[in-house]
Amino acid sequence: MLTAEAARLAIADAGLEPGAVDGAIELRGSPGGGDRAGYVDGFPRMLGLPVNVYLTVGRGGALASLGIAIAASFLDRGIASYVCLASANDTGSRARLAKERGHRGRPHDLEKEGYWGKPLGDLRAVSHHSWMAARHMKEYGTTSRQLGSIAVQTRAWANKNPEARMHAKTMTIEDHQQSPVIVDPYHLFDVSLTTDSAIAFVLTTEDRARDLPRPPVQVLGLGFAEIAAELWWEKKNYTHMAVPRARDMAFAQAGVSLDNIDAAMLYDCFTAEVLFQLEDYGWCKKGEGGPFAASGAIGPGGSIPVNTSGGLLSAYHHEDLTGFAEAVRQLRGEAGDRQLEGCQTVLFSSHGGEMLSPGMCSIHATTVLGTGR
Amino acid sequence: MTTAAESAVPWRKARPNIDQDNEAFWDGLAQHELLLWQCGQCGTWYWPKAYCREHENEPFAAQMSWQPASGTGRIFSANVHRWAFDPAFTDDVPYAFVMIELDEGPLISSMLTEPVDDPVAAIGRRVEVVFEDHLDLADGFVLPKFRLL
Repeated sequence: MLTAEAARLAIADAGLEPGAVDGAIELRGSPGGGDRAGYVDGFPRMLGLPVNVYLTVGRGGALASLGIAIAASFLDRGIASYVCLASANDTGSRARLAKERGHRGRPHDLEKEGYWGKPLGDLRAVSHHSWMAARHMKEYGTTSRQLGSIAVQTRAWANKNPEARMHAKTMTIEDHQQSPVIVDPYHLFDVSLTTDSAIAFVLTTEDRARDLPRPPVQVLGLGFAEIAAELWWEKKNYTHMAVPRARDMAFAQAGVSLDNIDAAMLYDCFTAEVLFQLEDYGWCKKGEGGPFAASGAIGPGGSIPVNTSGGLLSAYHHEDLTGFAEAVRQLRGEAGDRQLEGCQTVLFSSHGGEMLSPGMCSIHATTVLGTGR
Repeated sequence: MTTAAESAVPWRKARPNIDQDNEAFWDGLAQHELLLWQCGQCGTWYWPKAYCREHENEPFAAQMSWQPASGTGRIFSANVHRWAFDPAFTDDVPYAFVMIELDEGPLISSMLTEPVDDPVAAIGRRVEVVFEDHLDLADGFVLPKFRLL
């Protein structure tokens, strides 16, 4: 029902009749699980959408990017003219239920059976993502306070966003340092939220979009990279992400460089992922992400605004759709108190898809969106 | 290599996923052997199972096989769990969950048998496999944990 409601609102916002929507994609972190009746009870049936095609797609935190890639191919081939992409997430509610059974954090039943390390204590994403922070600390001398500065700046953005879960709660670096160490070196405030949310949008061709009442946001570039065959064997997957190839692909399509990016919605499941991306995209050199972040570069007034909604850390966790939705808000000039002046080009990143031990989140996607002006 | 005490309590944690690709590995653990997947052509070691990256492979990686490994390595990265996210781990916290670079090359993750104070300082420490028996359970198994050397 949440997915259908988001889809209904997106279709109305686009100024379309539901009957015009002829393609539908449901975005999910684990689309192939078959653990829910979503395939027969998806939003096209609920809304009576006369679609030619409906599928579920997503891999870890890469939902919007993969969905856009597939929707674009439907549009290019004439399979559909207006594709509605929708996603809902009730992780927050299920986490509360899990807590009643003595679990903490993300609901236990969300974690896939079959992880290698699960009987050995690999219980949550933080169980292995914290290795990234530890390894970066070891190699480059990064500190918990530097990582904390990312959480603090992200919170400052959330304080400007009334939709953010943590809108009313401020955070200082001392608050971060005093928050419980849940998986050392990570404090509680290095970890993203568990929340409920639903997001939907309509993708169509440029000529059709021009005839619609709302100002369109354009997909300027889309790039993907996998590190499964590289960084794992080179043993660099705990200090590097698969950014460069995805970035270069997306930037080449968009005809932009890093200097053209007005804001970056970087996948912030944990603070270190933001730090890695600041380095891997090239806002600072490898190993210098700690001092760069601590300088205040990513918060309000900083040189590169990052996660202006409050991101996964302080607004809400809906994988890459959190960054996607905020990029659209900024480009439409609908970001309220946090609106960036002259914002024309925004990137959002996608990350996740744990493989092997797990611990290797091997997919990365870069999507560049623009005002289309 | 030592053997940890057998578990007398019912198993409340997740069970290992044993499938066609890793069954021999788990059979090895039951015999207190840490097996890795080795290329018979060039000697390169892998874990988990993979085709050899160094050259063309025979169909179904026919030249590769599970072979006993040293069981030693060093900590590549580490953390210390202070929260038990699952109540079945209440008696384990605080515990170190570490990524180990085995001496043969592959990475493998596991729990240390003793906690460490500072996970970042633990990176680089030498470790050795410890076999934790749970063969008294129905469809029992042996878990490979590691201890600091």
